[in-house]
Amino acid sequence: MDEVKVMDEQQRNEILNRHVELDTTQFIVAQLGGEQYGIDIKYISNIIRMSRITRVPKVSDYIVGVINVRGVVIPTISLRLKMGLPEDEITKKTRIIILTLEQHESIGVLVDEVKEVVTLDEEHIEKMGYEKDEKERFLSGVGKTEGRLISLLDIISVLADVMES
Amino acid sequence: MDTSQYLDIFLDESKEHLQNLSDQIMDLEQNPDNMDTVNEIFRAAHSLKGMAGTMGYKRMQTLTHDMENVFSEVRNGTFKVQPGMIDILFRSLDALEEYVDNIQQTTEEGTNDNQDLINALNSILKNNGEIKPVDKSEVSAQAEASAKTDAEGESAKCSKWDEIKISDTERMLIEKAHNEGLKAYGITVYVEEACVLKAARAFLVFKALEKLGEVIVSNPTAQDIEDEKFDLTFSLIFISGSTMDEVKAAVKSVSEIEEVFCEEYYLEAASEPEHRETEQEKTQEAVVEQPKTEAAPKAAPASAPAAASKPAAAKSAAKPVVNRTVRVDIEKLDNLMNLVSELIIAKNSLIAATAAEGKGDNGSVNEQIEYLESVTTNLHESVMKVRMVPIESVVAKFPRMIRDLSKKLGKKMELYMTGEDTELDRTVVDEIGDPLMHMLRNSADHGLEPNDVRVANGKPEVGSIFLDAYQDGNNVVIEVRDDGGGINIEAVKQKGIERGTITPEQAETMTDKEVIDLLFMPSFSTAKKVSDVSGRGVGLDVVKSKIESLSGEVEVKNRYGEGSSWIIRLPLTLAIIQALMVVVGEEKYAIALGSIQTIEDVSPDDIKLVQAKEVIHIRGTVIPIVRLNRVLDIPPRDDEGQNLTVIIVKKGDKLAGLVVDELIGQQEVVIKSMGKYIKVPKMISGATILGDGEVALILDTNALI
Repeated sequence: MDEVKVMDEQQRNEILNRHVELDTTQFIVAQLGGEQYGIDIKYISNIIRMSRITRVPKVSDYIVGVINVRGVVIPTISLRLKMGLPEDEITKKTRIIILTLEQHESIGVLVDEVKEVVTLDEEHIEKMGYEKDEKERFLSGVGKTEGRLISLLDIISVLADVMES
Repeated sequence: MDTSQYLDIFLDESKEHLQNLSDQIMDLEQNPDNMDTVNEIFRAAHSLKGMAGTMGYKRMQTLTHDMENVFSEVRNGTFKVQPGMIDILFRSLDALEEYVDNIQQTTEEGTNDNQDLINALNSILKNNGEIKPVDKSEVSAQAEASAKTDAEGESAKCSKWDEIKISDTERMLIEKAHNEGLKAYGITVYVEEACVLKAARAFLVFKALEKLGEVIVSNPTAQDIEDEKFDLTFSLIFISGSTMDEVKAAVKSVSEIEEVFCEEYYLEAASEPEHRETEQEKTQEAVVEQPKTEAAPKAAPASAPAAASKPAAAKSAAKPVVNRTVRVDIEKLDNLMNLVSELIIAKNSLIAATAAEGKGDNGSVNEQIEYLESVTTNLHESVMKVRMVPIESVVAKFPRMIRDLSKKLGKKMELYMTGEDTELDRTVVDEIGDPLMHMLRNSADHGLEPNDVRVANGKPEVGSIFLDAYQDGNNVVIEVRDDGGGINIEAVKQKGIERGTITPEQAETMTDKEVIDLLFMPSFSTAKKVSDVSGRGVGLDVVKSKIESLSGEVEVKNRYGEGSSWIIRLPLTLAIIQALMVVVGEEKYAIALGSIQTIEDVSPDDIKLVQAKEVIHIRGTVIPIVRLNRVLDIPPRDDEGQNLTVIIVKKGDKLAGLVVDELIGQQEVVIKSMGKYIKVPKMISGATILGDGEVALILDTNALI
C-alpha cells in the first residue's frame, strides 16, 4: 500500500518533547475546499493515499465506510461532510489521515490534500471563544503562519461527535 | 475430592500470588504505612490460603492463615509493620515457596510444619507487633537440633545395601551361590562429593567387581547408574569366591571412591527388611520433623511418600510430575492471531497477484506459493489450538454449586456432567461461565419440583440436572437439562398478561415457542426472582444477550411435566469462520456458512405475496423473502424477469430467503472488528479482509430473519 510516512517514532518523540519545552505544537495542514485545517500531529499515526473504501449501510452520511490499513479495518469519515461542506471529489491528491487516539482504536479522515507540517507556538494560536457556531464547533482555534490563517481542528470533539451519532 | 486435575492451575496461581506477595512485602519494607500494599498482601495471602485449603495442603494453609492474621491486625491498625516482622514474613514466603516446589515435584507438600515461623507469626500477634528475642533462641535451638539429625543421617550411611529388594530369581541365584561355596556380599559404595563423572566411576567399580564375580542386583538399577540417576551412593549385591577384603580392595582401587561398606549377605537379612525399614523411617522422620532450617531443603525431598521403603521412587520423583506450562496473556495470543490473519491475507494477495500475471512460465513460483499456503494453514491451526481451552475450567465449580443449592433450597438433586473436555476458544470460555451458572440455578430453583411433589408424580425423589457439552461441526453445544416439571406455558402466559407484555388476545394465538421466548425478555427477570439462588443479577435476558454477543444462540425444548432442556450453541471460535461470499449490486458480502440451509434458483413467478410480504414455496414450506439490496440500500441491478438466487438461511426453526445477485464461493474469512467509532447496524456482524486487500462486510443473518 502506498503510504506517506509522516515521521518515525524517534522524530515524533523529539517533537513531542520540544513541544513540552517550547510550548509549540506541530500541525499537519490539510486542504478542505478553499480552507486549510490544522490537525495536531500527536493524534496522527499515518497518512495514506486513497484506497478502496467499503461502504457500510445504515450509518450517518459522513461515515464513508471502512478501509484496510495493514490488516486492520478502520472506519473512515469525510471531514467535508462533517464540516458541512459539499461532498468529496476523489482526486490524485486525496489522502486519508489515520488518527489514533487510544491504542488499537483508529479512524480515517478523508481530506482533499495534505499540504505541509507547520510548527506554531502559543502566541500564534488564537483560541476560540466559547460562543461557537455550527461550523466552529469542531475548531479549537486559529493559527497564524506566514500571513495565512489555519483553522485548528479539535479532533477530540470531532470524534466524540462521531461516536455519539 | 480428586483435585489432581487442578494441580496445574494451583501451581501457576500460587506462584503468581507468591511473587505478588514478595513484591508487595518489599514495597511494604520501603513504605510501612501504605495501606494499599497491606490490603493487597492480605488479599493475596487470603487467596493462597483458600487455594491451599481446597487442594488439601494443610501445612501450607496453616502458615498462610497465620500470615493472614498478622496482616489482618496491621490492616485494622492494631500495630505497625516493623523491620523484624518483614524478615519473618520473607522467611514465611520462602517456606511457602518450598511447599509449592515440593508439590510440583511430588504432588505432596512435604512434612515440614515450619512451626518456628508459625510461632514467630503468632508471637507477633500476641505481642502486638513486637518481635521477641525468644524466637531467635528457639530458632537457633532448632538449628542445633537439625544439625544433630544431620549427624544421625551420616551414621545411617553404611546400611544401604539391605534396602535392595530381592526377587525370587535373585534369591535362587544367591542360594545357588551358597551351595557352590561362593559368598554373597552386600556392598554400598560412596563416591566422593567432588566427583564429576559419577557414572564413569560406578562403571569402573562394576568392572572391577566383575573380574571377581557377578553383580546380581544393584540399587539404583544398572541403567539408572549408567544414566547418572543416583546421588553419591549406590548399593549392590555381589556373588564371588573372593574374600571380603579382596572385594573391598577391588572397589577401592577405583579412584574418587570415598568409602566402601561391604558385608557378607545372608538371605535371612533380606527376609527381615520391614524391621530395618521402620528403623530407617524413624531416622527419616526425625529429619523431617525439624522445622525450617538449613536441613529442611534436604529433608523435604527425602520425605516423599515412603522414601525409605522405595528409594528408587524417591529419586525418580526429582522429575516434576506436572507438565510445564507457560501462562500467556490473552492479548499476546490475540496479537499472534492477528499476525497470522495478516499472513493469510498476504498469502491470498500473492495468489491473486500471480494468477493475474498469467500461468505458464511461473511453475516454480506456484509451487512455492502452494508450500506457503500449507504452512500458513498449519500455522493458523496451531494458533487456533493454542487459544482453545477445555470448558472444564468453567464447569468444574458447578457440582459444588449444585450441592450448596441443594442444601439451600432443601431439594435433593444431583448434577451429571459430560464432555467437560470439549474445547472452545478462550474468549468464549471466559464468557460462558455466568450464563451457564444462571441456567443451572434456574433448573435447580424453578425446574426441579420439591421432593414430595416429585414422589407424588411418580418420579425419583432426587432430581437430576444434566450438563452435556459436545462438538457439533463448527459449533459447540452445551445442553442444560433437568427432569423437573418443565415450563408451564399457561403460567408464563398468565404472567405475561399480568405484566402487560402481551394482551390476552395475543396469548390466545401464541405458539408455545413464542411463549417461551417471553422468558428471555428483560421484563421477565423480576426482582422477586433475584434471590440468593436465582443469582447475581443475571437474568435469562442477560443469558440470551451474552450468548448472542458470542455469536451463539439459545434454544429451549420443553416437555411439560417431564422437564426442559436449554441448548446453547456456540461457534468454535470467534476469530475465523467459513463463509459464503456473495455479491449484491456491486458490493461483496460474507454470510456465515453455518447459518445457510440451501441455495435455490427461483423464478420471479414463484414469488407470492402473503400479507403484502414476498414469500416462496419450497418443498412445502413457505419462506419469507428478504431482498438484500433493499435492506442494504444498494441500487438494484437491471435484471428484471431473470431467475433469482436465493440463499435459504435458518435461525433456530425459522427460515428466510436472502436474494443476492451473484455467488462467489466459499472462503475462510478472518473476522475483524470495525472499531468503536462507528455504530454498525445489527445486520452487520463484522468485517473481513479479502485476498485483494478489499474489506467485505459480514452479514448477521439472525438479524435479518
